[in-house]
Amino acid sequence: MTVSLAETIHERVRHIETMPAIPAVFLPLLKLLSSSGQDARVDEVVRLVSYDNTIAAQCLRVASSPLFGLEKSPKSIKGAVLTLGLRRVETILLTCCLGQAFPAKKWVLDPAVFWRHSLGCAMVCRKFSEKLAVADGEKAYMAGLLHDIGFMVNCLVFPEEFAKTMKCARGEEIPLDEAEQSTMGFTHCETGQALAEKWGLANDVIEVIAHHHAIEKSQKARPLVALVHLSDLLCRMRGLGYGYYERRMVDLIADPAWPILLQEHRDLEGVDLVRFTFELDEAVGAIHALVAMVFGSAPART
Amino acid sequence: MTIITQPAAVPVTPNKGAEPVDPVYRQIRDLVYKVSGIYKAEEKLYLLADGCTRRMKQLGARTPRDYWDQLTAQPSRDGELRQLLNEITIGETCLFRSQPQLDALRKVILPEIVGEKNKQITKRLRIWSAGCSTGEESYTLAMNMLEERDRLLQGWTLEILATDLNDRSIETAKAGIYGDYALRNTTDYFKRKYFSILDERKLQVSAEVKKLITFSRLNLQDDSRMLFMKGIDLVFCCNVLIYFDGVSKAKVINHFFSNLNFGGYFFLGTSESLMRLNDQFHLIHFPGTIAYWKPSLKSGKL
Repeated sequence: MTVSLAETIHERVRHIETMPAIPAVFLPLLKLLSSSGQDARVDEVVRLVSYDNTIAAQCLRVASSPLFGLEKSPKSIKGAVLTLGLRRVETILLTCCLGQAFPAKKWVLDPAVFWRHSLGCAMVCRKFSEKLAVADGEKAYMAGLLHDIGFMVNCLVFPEEFAKTMKCARGEEIPLDEAEQSTMGFTHCETGQALAEKWGLANDVIEVIAHHHAIEKSQKARPLVALVHLSDLLCRMRGLGYGYYERRMVDLIADPAWPILLQEHRDLEGVDLVRFTFELDEAVGAIHALVAMVFGSAPART
Repeated sequence: MTIITQPAAVPVTPNKGAEPVDPVYRQIRDLVYKVSGIYKAEEKLYLLADGCTRRMKQLGARTPRDYWDQLTAQPSRDGELRQLLNEITIGETCLFRSQPQLDALRKVILPEIVGEKNKQITKRLRIWSAGCSTGEESYTLAMNMLEERDRLLQGWTLEILATDLNDRSIETAKAGIYGDYALRNTTDYFKRKYFSILDERKLQVSAEVKKLITFSRLNLQDDSRMLFMKGIDLVFCCNVLIYFDGVSKAKVINHFFSNLNFGGYFFLGTSESLMRLNDQFHLIHFPGTIAYWKPSLKSGKL
């Protein structure tokens, strides 16, 4: 990417304030999610959410959905934290905030399709983390949820260019990042990185957003980037991609990300990838339901 | 938010209704997977429950828990598992059973194999439907190959070997006569192009399609005959190995590996796993389906 192109991206992303409003609690919430020390945070989260009734109500609706199988619907955010745990409520809140930041409307990339992929990837990241006994599964969840945020930036900031990209990707049935590179000369990794830096996200999450298609460029968070990269591929192969057929095959074990993750987590060797894949299929219906609930129900596409 | 990490929290639709499934069925699902490699995903669990209910009626078992005892206690165990496998795979056979498999074949695999083999003098594609039963899969493959005859496969010799242990199945297969149920996934386009009308309710496969296929009787456990199967590009063996014990299964899979050309692919049923019984095949994900790949010589991954 040339210097002037990088400048253009940053310049346009700087002006993103003129775009749909981001809920005020979103950034403080992201910061909280990135920090450690669970106990002290409960009150802080409850306080933050009390500023935004819309978000609080939506969070309670999601928490009461059959997805979480609670016998009694929580009546307050504090109640939800007590029954579901702080980490889980935080990620629900984060998801609801993103729903407000990028609401469903007619964009080049159908937001419902986009969020299904993002939530699917987030869920696979967490599931992988559990299999591998990664210490912070919620961090992996958040990284999965946000990894492709650059696509939303493309929709908002480069709508005409990105429309050509989508047309090219669909027509040739190639991966979106390849189509971006050939039609625009940059990808959602760069635009996503610019937004992530503007938002002040944690460095490892920025690395995931910037390098999940080129793990070798990652400096300090390679295992996390590798985890998101593999989860992303798996989602795209199991009906949680970008709403079109990607004419390709994926050999996860031969992917450069596999040995990176294996080096960090020996348990990876014992994972039954086929069963893991079938289990992912089980969640597809639940993800559709969740996206319809949080992001508005845009019509489903195959 | 946990979606697949807490199976109990995911809504299950037995008989597509609202009643939650008895947790014993998840135990049965895991047992079936361990023994056969067939995985009934959460949303398909009602199919497993239906199969169990039919077996329970036959056996006079009152509760799923009673049935579990019969499934796990000697001496009834092996025979009962076989009966249950019959129940849960029954009615799965039809033409065009798995569109994702056919898409992977035509959009991804064929262009690759053709690209590789175009350098050779003899352009021949050899597909083996191992355990072809009453021929639905073999004819589906033949029709799809014929569709490519004027495009990718121009000037190629096409050959489909279809084998089964059961003589009666082979006779039925050779006749190539199918009713509405077997043709439920077959589009009008294929019906018009490759079938003739036999009577009001039945269609017969045309001679053009039949010409590609050689049906014969073969026992997959007959080592000497298995050694003779050579030069195969693609093996399809759907819901056959589920009835084999681990040792026999591993042996048959090793045969398939030798039967295949370098760079060839091996497909199982859509919810079936190789269960890591062979570490030479590479697990490959295609959109919506998986297959096993025998690495090509030049890939350096042997």
